[in-house]
Amino acid sequence: MDFVVIYVLGAIIATIIIAMSVVFLIKALKRAKAINMDKAVITETIKNSAIFSIVPSIPIVIGIGVMMQYVGLAIPWIRLTVIGALQYEIAALFAAGAAEVGASTSVIASAVVVMTLSIISGPLFNAIFYKKYQTKLYDIQTNNAKKMDAITGALLGGMLSGIISSILVGGAFTIGNPTFDKSGVGTYGEITLITLAASVVITGICGAIMIFGKQKWMESYALPISIVGALGIAFAFVPVFA
Amino acid sequence: MKKLDLFNAPNSREDYNNQIHSIGRIFTWIALALICAVPVAFCIAAKVVPDWGAIAACITFIAGYWAIGLIEAFSYAPLLGTGGQYLSFITGNIANLKLPCALNSQNVAKVKQGTEEQEIVTTISIAVSSIVTTIIIIIGLIPLAIFQEELVEVLQPISPYVMPAIFGGLTMALLAKYWKVALIPFGVCFLICIVGNLIGMGSALSQSTMIIVGMVVSCISTTILYKKGLLDGKKKAPVETPAVSADVQESQEETPVQEEIKEDDVQE
Repeated sequence: MDFVVIYVLGAIIATIIIAMSVVFLIKALKRAKAINMDKAVITETIKNSAIFSIVPSIPIVIGIGVMMQYVGLAIPWIRLTVIGALQYEIAALFAAGAAEVGASTSVIASAVVVMTLSIISGPLFNAIFYKKYQTKLYDIQTNNAKKMDAITGALLGGMLSGIISSILVGGAFTIGNPTFDKSGVGTYGEITLITLAASVVITGICGAIMIFGKQKWMESYALPISIVGALGIAFAFVPVFA
Repeated sequence: MKKLDLFNAPNSREDYNNQIHSIGRIFTWIALALICAVPVAFCIAAKVVPDWGAIAACITFIAGYWAIGLIEAFSYAPLLGTGGQYLSFITGNIANLKLPCALNSQNVAKVKQGTEEQEIVTTISIAVSSIVTTIIIIIGLIPLAIFQEELVEVLQPISPYVMPAIFGGLTMALLAKYWKVALIPFGVCFLICIVGNLIGMGSALSQSTMIIVGMVVSCISTTILYKKGLLDGKKKAPVETPAVSADVQESQEETPVQEEIKEDDVQE
């Protein structure tokens, strides 16, 4: 399953993604300089984005480990480096009948086709329609900034509401009744709620240190600290409930 | 027709935006071609033909993900900005990594919604996040190839808890700004989740589904509040972060939040 040509394609894709990110980064940095943005803000943004991204990237690597038992190392590497997430890929593997150890290369080829076809609508939208759509958004922003504020606020508020209600209610309903995903990993309601509470409390503590202890540096690190701390607590509770 | 130079320094926000669109489109087409080349290369290397019957049986699955992809591209666009949108829809992991990372950066940088500063901070944040994630994945392949079973056994059990770990803290950090617009959608989403779980449809209400439900409900409720003028005057407070540099001078009406921050800055 791990053909050299797939690794070569994976390397090219990873290179393109890094090149795209570097080009956008350079363009944004040059534009920031041109409009006299505060250098400290830019440095802080680079620093906290890099730190923030470390911990959430680790489950992506674990996702490759989960998928490689079915389709080898090269395919999951590519799939999880580009658009797509573990739950989509696992669902596609099941849909195509490839989520079993020792599946034939023909079945795996079918699964890779399904995975590929499933996730291309977003990038296609961007390549064809996004400029027109963004121009409309820009017009709203220019003509009626309050309306645009309301739109972005509504989308963000809606996203947070959807995620938090799903975590809270899903967690409460799976207390003592864990659910297992297709790869066999259990989600325990108790740990979900403990992790959520831990993340809130740790962020609150960081906020208190920042405000009352006058430690402004803490602002950049509060979220990464809360993610690491909450996952550490989840890790400690897994043996208790599992 | 105006010729667009991708390498010159843009003179205005519009020029910058056009350059980002052109670069973004070029990279998106290249990435799409490479992504689509993977199954072709696999079939050639393995000397097999995919099972077309099995693929045809997955049409509803594919159509479902097409719909999700389009809704996500449409609804995340105002939040990700131009550069962030192109990058995020190539590198993936938007809800669990790129968007929270960008929101955290916007929050720390205290940039104002809709400004060029916000666009730049978001692009930098998502670009850096994409580079870090791609490198971590490459580095992670080495231990994964050697200790796959051990690593997966130790770390996989905490994978389901990454979203609560991210969004507990992020919600706490953003609550002060968005609670007014989030109150109604949160109530509706909470109710939908409770009813869904009570009637045995809890598994259908995953976080990715509820993001879309929450956004739709929120757009409807915010539109009603906006048209009734219930967001007027104080509307800026829930959606606006304190401005930086020139934005502060431009701002005529400062929110209580902005005034509070300014006082803090003076004390420091």
